[in-house]
Amino acid sequence: MRIARKAQAGTMQSSDLMVALEPADELSVEIASTVKKQFDHLIHAVVSEVLSSRGVTAGRVRVTDRGALDYAIRARLETALERAGER
Amino acid sequence: MVTQLLTGADRARARDFIEAQGLSFEPGFDDLVGRFEGGALVATGARAGDVLKMIAIDPAYQHGALLGEVAGELVRLGLAAGHDGLFVFTRPAHAPSFEALNFALLASHARVALLEYGGRFAAWLAAGARLVRPGPGAAVVLNANPFTLGHRHLVEEAARRAATVYLFVVREERSAFPFEVRLRLVREGTADLSNVVVLDTSRYAVSAVTFPAYFLGRTDPVAEIQMELDATLFGARIAPAFGVTRRFFGTEPTCATTRAYNAAMQRVLPSFGVEPVEVERAQAGGAPISASTVRAALAAGDDAALAALVPPTTLAYLLSDEGRAVRGRLHGAKGRHG
Repeated sequence: MRIARKAQAGTMQSSDLMVALEPADELSVEIASTVKKQFDHLIHAVVSEVLSSRGVTAGRVRVTDRGALDYAIRARLETALERAGER
Repeated sequence: MVTQLLTGADRARARDFIEAQGLSFEPGFDDLVGRFEGGALVATGARAGDVLKMIAIDPAYQHGALLGEVAGELVRLGLAAGHDGLFVFTRPAHAPSFEALNFALLASHARVALLEYGGRFAAWLAAGARLVRPGPGAAVVLNANPFTLGHRHLVEEAARRAATVYLFVVREERSAFPFEVRLRLVREGTADLSNVVVLDTSRYAVSAVTFPAYFLGRTDPVAEIQMELDATLFGARIAPAFGVTRRFFGTEPTCATTRAYNAAMQRVLPSFGVEPVEVERAQAGGAPISASTVRAALAAGDDAALAALVPPTTLAYLLSDEGRAVRGRLHGAKGRHG
């Protein structure tokens, strides 16, 4: 799928994350997390997995995480992607 | 849940609540949100452009998740409005609470801390890092509205005394000459100086965020804190990223706000290992050259005076059709930096 418009999902609550998407020529993933030191690579892995399973090859993906578990990361990113898709 | 406060009655309650928490209610926001418990307001927050303000939480609820709810809603609204990131000013004691929400601390002063959500500052520093040259450098920050022989003298002096000069042009669009023009005239006017690197300040020096009083011509105690915060951000974060050990600026004979800013730099910068270097302003016809003199000459149609005040590159622009269009705006402009 293609990120066709700006979209967001999630909250700033503990154990949750906010995802912000916007169209871009190249794919970039920016992650800020309160548990970045320990879990940055795991968050990256989940984000990459969802993006590739949805066939996203371009766009700016920004995640601010407060210790969300992987299913929460998947759900928020999927939701944001649904909102960012073409209608 | 956090809701937008849209009715007059809700806004009046927000005002009472915010003032009861010891903050001042400032109209002129884009969003005002609040959270009710049992019919009473227990948390508020507002957004004006990309600055979050008036964030207040009832002390009885301060150990819960309300700050995250309010800040999260304001960030959501701010991003939806097209902003790339959001700033917040808070008391230094509250900075860790915002850091826990993934706001990055930009600068902390005795009275106020400035934080940012969205990672823009790190991205700006990373972009600037590509232009950094080896060895200790010097910095000059200019609004250059427009670039004059006074600016040229200051930059030449810095370039003569330092291996590399990082010349930051204020990006804020609060001036008669648009940023793109100010930047272009600075580039053209310093093109022959091989050790000068021209950059833009983004929002991180002398901006409506770090130092709004500059554009309002204020010198009150609030303005004083802003100036010190601006100088702190420069000394603590920007200077080390560029290897800058000296900041050059011109003496200020007339404008009280700029003079106070110079004094703030003298007070703040040395504690971060940055030496403030004040350079005597260049003169023309026995008077110091300033951009406001240039704008006054332009507004008065006194083209003959311009050649003594600006370099040929700026003069060519001022006498062009594009430059003449700016004159119309100058007639209505107010304020020293307008």
